[in-house]
Amino acid sequence: MGTKRSWQGQPVTMQNKSDTQSSDSAGPTISIFEDFRNELDEHHDRRERIIKTSRDITALSKKIIFALQRVRATNNPIPANIAKENQTRLDQIQTLFTNIIPDLTGINAWRYRSISSGIQEYIEAISFEHYLRTQTLITHAEVCERLPAGIMVTEEDYLMGLFDLTGEMMRFAVLSLSSGNAAATSTEPTETEVTDAKKQLPHLAASQADLVVDLRTMRAGFEELSVPRKYNMLRDLHKKTEVMQNSVEKVERAAYGILVRGSERPSGWTPDLSAAVEVEAQ
Amino acid sequence: MIDQRIFEDLQTKIDEETTVRDVSRPHPRLRRACPRIFFRAKPDRCAQQSSETHLREQELHEIVQTLARKGRSTQAILARAHSTPSDKLQPVLDDATASIIAQKEEVARLRSVADKHPFYKYNGLWSRELQNLVASIELCAWLGGLPEHKGPDSASFMTIEDVGKFLDVPINLKEQDAFHLTIEEYLLALIAMVEELSRLAVNSVTLGDYERPLQIGNFIKDLFSGFQLLNLKNDILRKRSDGIKYSVKKVEDVVYDLSLRNLIPKGGATA
Repeated sequence: MGTKRSWQGQPVTMQNKSDTQSSDSAGPTISIFEDFRNELDEHHDRRERIIKTSRDITALSKKIIFALQRVRATNNPIPANIAKENQTRLDQIQTLFTNIIPDLTGINAWRYRSISSGIQEYIEAISFEHYLRTQTLITHAEVCERLPAGIMVTEEDYLMGLFDLTGEMMRFAVLSLSSGNAAATSTEPTETEVTDAKKQLPHLAASQADLVVDLRTMRAGFEELSVPRKYNMLRDLHKKTEVMQNSVEKVERAAYGILVRGSERPSGWTPDLSAAVEVEAQ
Repeated sequence: MIDQRIFEDLQTKIDEETTVRDVSRPHPRLRRACPRIFFRAKPDRCAQQSSETHLREQELHEIVQTLARKGRSTQAILARAHSTPSDKLQPVLDDATASIIAQKEEVARLRSVADKHPFYKYNGLWSRELQNLVASIELCAWLGGLPEHKGPDSASFMTIEDVGKFLDVPINLKEQDAFHLTIEEYLLALIAMVEELSRLAVNSVTLGDYERPLQIGNFIKDLFSGFQLLNLKNDILRKRSDGIKYSVKKVEDVVYDLSLRNLIPKGGATA
């Protein structure tokens, strides 16, 4: 646009900078904008590098989480085969973080927040692993320790990671409720006497009951947070809260279902997980 | 077992985040290195702190709002240029200069507060108003105001260096994390000025000034060719700079109408 202008008698001479204003300014303007171009290119390149790193970290973290979902016991070391598999991924993530540090130092730490989604997914992965091992929440300080020093972890990242953790805990809880309890109750009726049956009032295995309690505690904790409305960092807090509440409720209902109808359900039955898609979709 | 303290600490941090409680508080990033004390902070102590002082974002909001209010009066003054013949423009420029200088004081205030925080964390709060101010400065300068602030060897507009010097703010900082005028903000301001000038081209004709549309046409075509050098991604700058060609066309149409009717003053076309 604007290169072919034949709209009047003068245009050709004007375009050829024959008039004074253009010849005065064309030079400086072009060189000024060439400088701008270089600066903007540098910015865009850096931005793209960071987005790519963030995506790679997200993908690796998701794989870690999938592997961890195969773990069946809490409060125990992660089984060796899964731990080994995840270690290579964790190493890759460390390398990715280390390589991107130069782009995220100084003033740029707050400029390119696109790394944030990668960090959040990573927090989700390590907090899940941490929970499975110790049945406690990872703290912000512990998260920072598991990242190279140049990577800034904001409280927002940490909080969002914890929100996502509830989704993973939900999936884990529902799966372990069904599979774990199935073994417990299907064998027991055959072994127990009728007199024991009363003592044998249905109850959840300790680790599963803990899961429900923990999720409930987390929900209460999240809900108690009061975040000022103008707090621009927590834009999707509302949506995350809803998803989290759903997850907790799902586990509560699954626990109830197992407890009440546990012995009646056919073997291989799992609580309805259909709504879990919602959690994955976001 | 979920540690309740984790949530208490998060609350503390959120409260802290919205609060300026201590001017001498270390910079957040410096604090990262030392143990994170807020994980042990007691909620009641924090509540006390937040009631002691006003909110950090609110302080910035308040400055930005003042800047915006003064910006609107600057723009109102400059809008008089559309109905003032160029030979009677000086009072308008004097008023505009005074108003711009009033805004400049707000920028100094903004700078002193913003410098305490990571620049890009809060940049979005004031970026728009700063752009408007720079656009006003550029327009005022193009109309002949602020002559002493235009660099001697620069183009027909104030360069980003000129603007930075005038406003007394750094420009395009890449290492140091401090308040500054970014290239994007400056370019967006130029685009805003181009739009305003294309309107002025039409209004000049109404005022009987057939010369100014030509000057404007040459000037914005020059800028347009500059913008065409940029490799823009799909961002705000791209969207806004796509609009320049319509401004160029608008002015070209005016020039065309004038030349068709032989209304362009002889020899004045190059002024």
